Amino acid sequence: MTELLRSGFARGTLLACAALAAACTSLSAPPSRNAPAPAARTSPPVEDARPAPTPVPPPVTQPVPRTEPAPPSSVDVPAARPQSDASGASGALLEQSRAQRAAGSLPAARASLERALRIDPNNAVLWLELGELDLQTGNATQAATMARKAMTLAGRDGRLTARAERLLRAAE
Amino acid sequence: MARRSRRASKDGKLSRIRGWVLRLAAVGFMLAIAYGGYLAWMATSEFEGRRWDIPAQVYAAPLELYTGRALSVDDLVAELKRLGYREDPRLIGPGTYRVGLARVEIATRGFSFAGDTEPEQLVAITFVGGRVAALRDSRGSRTAIVRLNPLLIGSLFASHGEDRLIVAPGDIPPLLTDTLKAVEDRRFDSHFGVDPIAVMRAVFVNVSSGEIREGASTLTQQLVRSYFLTNTRSGFSAWWRKIREAFMAVALELRYDKSDLLHAYVNEIYLGQDGARAIHGFGLASQFYFGKPLAELELHELALLVAEVRGPTYYDPRRHADRALARRNFVLQRMADEGLASNDAVQHAAEQQLGLVGNERRPSTYSAFLGLVRRQLSADYARDDLERTGLIVLSTLDSAVQSAAERALDSGIEALGKNAAEFEGAVVVTSPHTGEVKALVGGRDASYEGFNRALDARRQIGSLIKPAVYLAALESGRYSLASVIDDAPIVVDLDRRNTWTPSNFDNQAHGLVPLVRALAESYNMATVRLGLDVGLEPIADTLQRLGLAQKPTLYPSMLLGALALTPIEVAQIYNTLANGGFRVPLRTVRSVVGEDGELLQRYEIEIAQAADAGAVYALNQALVQVMERGTGRAVRAKLPDDIVVAGKTGTSDDLRDSWFAGFTNTNLIVTWLGADDNRPIGLTGSTGAAKIWAGVLAALESNSYSAPAPEGIDETWIDYATGAPTAARCPDAIAVPVPDTDYYPRAFGCNGETGIGARIRSWVDGGAR
Repeated sequence: MTELLRSGFARGTLLACAALAAACTSLSAPPSRNAPAPAARTSPPVEDARPAPTPVPPPVTQPVPRTEPAPPSSVDVPAARPQSDASGASGALLEQSRAQRAAGSLPAARASLERALRIDPNNAVLWLELGELDLQTGNATQAATMARKAMTLAGRDGRLTARAERLLRAAE
Repeated sequence: MARRSRRASKDGKLSRIRGWVLRLAAVGFMLAIAYGGYLAWMATSEFEGRRWDIPAQVYAAPLELYTGRALSVDDLVAELKRLGYREDPRLIGPGTYRVGLARVEIATRGFSFAGDTEPEQLVAITFVGGRVAALRDSRGSRTAIVRLNPLLIGSLFASHGEDRLIVAPGDIPPLLTDTLKAVEDRRFDSHFGVDPIAVMRAVFVNVSSGEIREGASTLTQQLVRSYFLTNTRSGFSAWWRKIREAFMAVALELRYDKSDLLHAYVNEIYLGQDGARAIHGFGLASQFYFGKPLAELELHELALLVAEVRGPTYYDPRRHADRALARRNFVLQRMADEGLASNDAVQHAAEQQLGLVGNERRPSTYSAFLGLVRRQLSADYARDDLERTGLIVLSTLDSAVQSAAERALDSGIEALGKNAAEFEGAVVVTSPHTGEVKALVGGRDASYEGFNRALDARRQIGSLIKPAVYLAALESGRYSLASVIDDAPIVVDLDRRNTWTPSNFDNQAHGLVPLVRALAESYNMATVRLGLDVGLEPIADTLQRLGLAQKPTLYPSMLLGALALTPIEVAQIYNTLANGGFRVPLRTVRSVVGEDGELLQRYEIEIAQAADAGAVYALNQALVQVMERGTGRAVRAKLPDDIVVAGKTGTSDDLRDSWFAGFTNTNLIVTWLGADDNRPIGLTGSTGAAKIWAGVLAALESNSYSAPAPEGIDETWIDYATGAPTAARCPDAIAVPVPDTDYYPRAFGCNGETGIGARIRSWVDGGAR
């Protein structure tokens, strides 16, 4: 209701009134899950259609799969909290990479990060560290791209996003 | 006087003749020396040259074992068998394993390439529900990650076909060299290249029998013969060849140590034939016949390899098992006679079968993948360097994925009820985020090194192009997935005389539809209308940013895929989509190591942002709808319910090409089916290639496609059929991502359900997009 009002204000009072009326009507009507499928759904998908006359598929009632934002990465501080299994391995490789980086062997640090990425490619932290390595070896363009890649994976994790933005600023 | 002078003249004549003879002899002697020098030079330069004549060895990616990894006991055992590990309840030595209930214990081999080292270790792996549940080391404590040694998948040998896998002096089992000496050349350690005692014995035998029956070639002579491959068996030239060989052998002996010669011999001698590939050296022969490294051979296996020295064709264990067995047991007997092995051990070994690695264990020659490795490396390395300098290439191949892809293509085509003569296929599997090529299949017969369709079949891609059209539309900012376009007949003016009237596959018009449905169901008329509005130039630009190397010709028919690409080019484009709009060049090589073990080159992950992240995110959600509701629905239904996949079908004119490209977070798979002569094959993307695609995916893993919504993306609920705003609970409602800067009204009723709902729809249709 509040959202409805908000959107109503956004479009102007007149529209708000119309929408309010619509909302009231549809709220008073019983929710209908068995509404007949729209006519367009009765024909099978086009490329499937011709070779054989297939029976009309039933209306699709299954919930639409939606991708949820990935949970915030848990490998940032590997020892601090319980991790998902995959990040156990990628977390160990991340630690290994950090140790190699601290010891000054950057190619090895990079190789360990790439190993971790093969296991856990959606992990923003790994891309960030790869970008930081790039920055350290003077490849600012790659560093910036890695930061952008990390941002697309950070989802709603503010801490990671901030870290990616710092890297991006440093690279640009 | 006269007599004297006559005598003098006679003397003079004699001395002149003597002088001539002497001079001739001197010249002849010098010629002989020169020829001898020439032979010695030939022998030594060949020896020096061959030391380096080693084709690049290509290894698959090592299998990473870690908790949570999707892997069954069967998968792991299959990989261990490919690597030539032996099942052994005592776990005796590296390269053995034992299988228990939901548990595998492995004594791993370990490896070291240019500083990247994995130690030998004992590891126990437990499984729960098709995943690795835990890894424990020999002390029982948990360990995070363990790698198996990488599988040698082949080498980039020259087209004339000599292949070898070099064995370092320290890795040659002493038993092998001792047995070679015992069987082939008893006095190797004392002779000077030829063995006069053996020669006299052989001459006696041969003369008394009137033909060459018994050879007396020393190992050094055999080495020389192997270098110069002239194998005339009879007459004068045979004797002449033997003399030359003997001379060269002596020359080599003068120049090199026995140990050098033995090392060269072990790596040089011809031991078998694999189609066009000649198997040279014991290292490769061990892999070829037994599928494991030389150091792990058992007594009877070692004996068979020594038996093959005498004649790999005549004693071919795969074709003439009886001859090979007899010769092997002769070698074993010789080992016992010389005290190289105990009588009991020899007795036991003689009772063993030949123990060859079966053809089912060598399902693939990985030739299609190796073709791409060669192509990519040739950008940085000269051909001669690849074929002769003993490079070690650490590749990206996942051998489990490769064998799954090969099986899925072959059995998938069979399941379509077509016979081999009718058409061919290709499969490319990549890892979207890293761009690594995991598998490449260039045709139905993966063991045959023929036309590599994954790289070279350039075919019309049909509707596979549509995501580029829709992405360009989304990037323009003028459209979202909720925007409505008209799928109605359209006439396109090509020039003054010609027009083009594209039609839908079902020859129907579907009216006003949202973008998401137009793409999911691959409507042609709606796509052409959208594409012409967006413009051909921006669409071509989008394609090039996604990874198309050449600029496509800007015909309107491009909008429906009148563009011929190879499967690997399609994979590059879709990989960018699967990677959220970040382009990463498809790679087959991780690093190249020199023969001396130093790292020459690492090919690192390089990414570039190719498209707006929000637009790609939205597009990928539409590709999920292809699978849920559109042309991919039929194959989607065969996959597990809880998996989310994104994909697109492609069909060319007259059903000549059947394409499918689709992805999850961990795999991008492109499949193509078609006839080599471009005849129609009667399959659409969804009735053909999509089934192969699903077969590959089902064999791989159960990860889904998922991506967090990037900054600036909201979602709104619309009716799938009409695009009208709809409440989430309505039967045909779907959530589509939209830019949060756009305004989308929120509906509380279902599309068309009430009069008010209809009012909302007309309000939306009339309003701004």
